[in-house]
Amino acid sequence: MFPENLSARLLKSIGVGVCLVDTETAEIVFCNSMFNTWFADAKQGMSLLDALPDLSDEDWASAGQGAMIEVKTKIKRRTLIIELRAHPANYDNRELLVFECQNVSRLRETEAMIDSYAAMVDRRTRDLEREKTQVEKLLLNIMPRTVYEEFMTFGSVAPRLFEPVSVLMLDFVGFTQMAAAADPTVTVAELNDIFTAFDRIGELHGCERIKTVGDCYMAVTGLPHPNPDHAMAAAQCAAKMIRYLERRNTTHQHQWKARIGIATGSVVGSVVGVQKYIYDVFGPAVNMSARLQALSAPMEITVCSSMADSLMDEFDMENTRTEDIQGFGKTEVSRLSQRRRLPGTGRMQPVPGLLAS
Amino acid sequence: MNAATYGTRPMSLFDKYGGIRVLRHVIMEFYDRVLDSEIIGHFFENIDLTRLIDHQTKFFSMVLGGPAQFSDERLAAAHSHLKLNHAEFDEAVVLLTETLDEAGFSPEDRDTVLAAIEARRTIIVT
Repeated sequence: MFPENLSARLLKSIGVGVCLVDTETAEIVFCNSMFNTWFADAKQGMSLLDALPDLSDEDWASAGQGAMIEVKTKIKRRTLIIELRAHPANYDNRELLVFECQNVSRLRETEAMIDSYAAMVDRRTRDLEREKTQVEKLLLNIMPRTVYEEFMTFGSVAPRLFEPVSVLMLDFVGFTQMAAAADPTVTVAELNDIFTAFDRIGELHGCERIKTVGDCYMAVTGLPHPNPDHAMAAAQCAAKMIRYLERRNTTHQHQWKARIGIATGSVVGSVVGVQKYIYDVFGPAVNMSARLQALSAPMEITVCSSMADSLMDEFDMENTRTEDIQGFGKTEVSRLSQRRRLPGTGRMQPVPGLLAS
Repeated sequence: MNAATYGTRPMSLFDKYGGIRVLRHVIMEFYDRVLDSEIIGHFFENIDLTRLIDHQTKFFSMVLGGPAQFSDERLAAAHSHLKLNHAEFDEAVVLLTETLDEAGFSPEDRDTVLAAIEARRTIIVT
């Protein structure tokens, strides 16, 4: 039927399976040897549907419309996936379909493998992303975001001068005795609660916690972003911390009494340490705030009287006196007292109970 | 502080031999050899190929130190119904050895992989 000429010989030798089928009867008119290696039973005169048991009537119909179809065939133990595509042809006034067949088993196996690998990589990426978020969270606990970003970009942080800023230093009265007298784990848990509350108060006023050392809490306003109202922000923060403790003490057995000092000046901020590093600030304002804190009576805020100008809209300076402060000499200091706005009047009056010594 | 002060992890075999590229070669080649084996080939007849390849990709990635987890429980579950004996396990090891040699693994690295497989013998053989 098919002439034994060059094209027939070519069809026999190429690596693509070729099969000519009568469009009407599905009868095989010709198939090459590659086609026979995949479908050994196929021979001239046989129905394609019999030769390829995996080929359904629907497949046959859609192949006639030019669709790509896949059939499975088994050679020894190996199941191969053969992709068939039909091209209509006319030979000797007979409507034929020329099936071009390729072994796509390896392709499918590789696809399966890539899918599997991609899922693995996706999962790993998600894990890494989660880990990164955790690390970021931890690092943001010990340094401001801008410093963290500098650290991640350059692997180091250049010391930077911040001026002017206000440093808030807070310490608890009799913490050591309290920790010794009560169950220390309870004391530390309460301290943790209180510091967490302070962090929240700080967030509201742009007051950045720098560190805690034992029961000492240190925070700075005007860092890392300059804030012209840094003194006011620190004072508001301090007043809220005291008010928080007063309220807390009414419902808790342990009475937490804090002393606070606030000083204004310049500080240098930097990451200190290589393996075990912290972000810390240094400068006269840090030392001054510590000295002022020590001068405070329990539940008092002490500031330099020179800060009065920045604070006078909300705070009164009380008990103004001159103290000899180590490293600074004679300095005028005051106790800070917050006024409260009377509803509707716009006038301020001292908050009863707060800061009363 | 300096990023260079942190130690770097040693390179895994997975990365050393080119990641997924070599893995693809190893798995396909191993699968071919296994199918042709007179001893264990029949286990792989009529198998769900996609699932097998998924398992092998994960398992080999893990053994080579790549980004995958394949628990011993899953390994046990995949083999328990086959009731494999030591001779059959040994055959798989021989075929894997040939595959790794052909893929260009150095003898030490090949032995590292084989040791990881051998460590799981009692999980696979029942």
